[in-house]
Amino acid sequence: MLQYWTAILTEATIFGVLALGIDMIWGWAGDFDLSAYAYFALGVYMTIIMTVGKAKAPVEYVLGWRLPYLLAVVIAVVVVVAFASIIGAIALRNLRDVYFSITTFGAVWAIYYLVENFTPLFNGYNGVFGLFDPMGQHLSYNAYHYFFFAFCLLVLFLVYLLVQRLSTSPFGRMVRAVRDDERAASVYGRNVFWAKYRTYLFGAGLAGLSGGLFAAYIGAFNPLDWKPTEIFVLYAAILVGGRGNPRGVVLGSFIVYVGFVEMTRYIPSPAARPELGPALRQILIGLLIILMLKFRPSGLLPERLGTDGTSVQRSWRRWFTRSRRLPDPRPDDVASDPVIGVES
Amino acid sequence: MEPMLRSVSGDMSIFWISLGMGLAVAAILALSAVAFTLEYAVSNVVNLAHGEVLTIGAYAAYVSDTNFHQNLYVCAMIATIFGALAGTALNFGLIERFRNQKPLSTLIATLGASLILQNLLLIGFGGASVSYGFAQGSLLHVGPFLWTTLTIRVMLSAVVVAGLMYILLQRTRLGKALRAVSQNRELAQVSGIPARSVVMQTWAVAGAISGFAGFLYGETIGTITPTVGNGFLLLSITAAVGGGLGRPYATLGGAVVLGLVMSIAGTYTSSAYQLVFAFGFLVVMLLIKPNGMFVRGRALTVRA
Repeated sequence: MLQYWTAILTEATIFGVLALGIDMIWGWAGDFDLSAYAYFALGVYMTIIMTVGKAKAPVEYVLGWRLPYLLAVVIAVVVVVAFASIIGAIALRNLRDVYFSITTFGAVWAIYYLVENFTPLFNGYNGVFGLFDPMGQHLSYNAYHYFFFAFCLLVLFLVYLLVQRLSTSPFGRMVRAVRDDERAASVYGRNVFWAKYRTYLFGAGLAGLSGGLFAAYIGAFNPLDWKPTEIFVLYAAILVGGRGNPRGVVLGSFIVYVGFVEMTRYIPSPAARPELGPALRQILIGLLIILMLKFRPSGLLPERLGTDGTSVQRSWRRWFTRSRRLPDPRPDDVASDPVIGVES
Repeated sequence: MEPMLRSVSGDMSIFWISLGMGLAVAAILALSAVAFTLEYAVSNVVNLAHGEVLTIGAYAAYVSDTNFHQNLYVCAMIATIFGALAGTALNFGLIERFRNQKPLSTLIATLGASLILQNLLLIGFGGASVSYGFAQGSLLHVGPFLWTTLTIRVMLSAVVVAGLMYILLQRTRLGKALRAVSQNRELAQVSGIPARSVVMQTWAVAGAISGFAGFLYGETIGTITPTVGNGFLLLSITAAVGGGLGRPYATLGGAVVLGLVMSIAGTYTSSAYQLVFAFGFLVVMLLIKPNGMFVRGRALTVRA
């Protein structure tokens, strides 16, 4: 039972990192990016092929190095960011909103079919494998899994601290200002494309990082493991937790992952209909997205915005110091501003 | 199908044959893309559940084919009716509920709907592919092209539907109202046009066209799975954006161009990369002419 929970929580932790990355792109910059799952997958692929060594006869893939795990993850993140810089440059330059989503939607499917059919890259449909554990020689099987869970938790915590810090920094506020009103932000001298582009690359980098963690967790990876539609689970997690609020996003990914894994365990899945369980799970995800969007789009822990447009986070310190009470969030403040709220 | 065609004819005519196949694909694509663009025109929504309406049409025809009749026309009619029902239900149950929200929220909601519908179909019909009992027909040489009776029938019916759509848009009250609503819903409403009802009827028409296109697609490729509409959705989006999103005639042109580009590119590489080419086409169009190639006027920055 303990091992079972460790496995689920490890997965939730890894996807928490991914959700934080996606939330930067969608929650902060307002770009609904459907290709982020490809960055995650690229991170997994790169990490695996850089650690398992040369490909043997029927299996083929590029590189095939034997690097230390952590170095491989770092290189994977760099590769993912470089790749995202191409897609981002295309999709963010002039396209916004629905058009941005369409472009990334096309991109992720194009990448998916390319990886699936072009075997020299990542062994196509069969995928890459070669189970390895970064610390395997020194630890027993169970101890390794506890260690790896702790390692993932540590990574999530560090990423969370970084993202939280960035969220309340001038950069985070600027990105949100750009999201809320591009024209006003550019009037005030902000480079709209550059703000969105940097956020995009940062988010993609986090996706690559979570891919690197997932590689060590799963050990084998093929196109069936990263159907582009899987990204909806993450968007559901972000919606449940609270879009734009790092704390909410982490909470949401734990709720959705643990909740859904636990819930689908009790759905009867007869041997004759193995697709029933996953299908019901997807239906629930779809319902969750629609209902959250309709009835509580800001999630359990909403993003808090000060009247001056700054993003204010409830912090533990404020519980004790009783600093000045902040006004309630009013996201439409900017839009209704008589000076800059002219654009509908 | 392609290897067979290659063996039938020499290397010289491969270009013409693939062009002919491209026209057949383009015909179905045109119907699907026009439905997609009509939905965008009246509701200002990028309907990512569009592919599932096609799939519903295809499966409705399949059920009718296996359980009741082996009649082509009955199947086509059933597919159309169920497509119309699905379109109406989607509009009434989802799009209208999200009308006051941003286009992006509606897009995300349609993604959720797509997930739900696709998996309901998976539960209902299983993941294995099914096929109709209709024959592919015999090979026919028409000029430089090589078609089957089936592809000719598909193209003819697409032309007929496009013609009907032209009449609907230009010659009927509904078409006039539809064009008005797509320009400005509020203004149309205050001018006495029942906007809600017009939008609903448009979704029914778009759904009917999609259902019919789904049937044609299932007939042409021979197999249907619950995810059959998924790949076709991306092609429809590409055709619509490439031609001009929200403009039915421009979308028709975009679909024809995309169908030809894909089939010719697929001839010289592999048809597995069709969607990759489609994406390349989409990116090129978005970069050089984001409003669509058949829309006059200078290229504007596309912001919703």
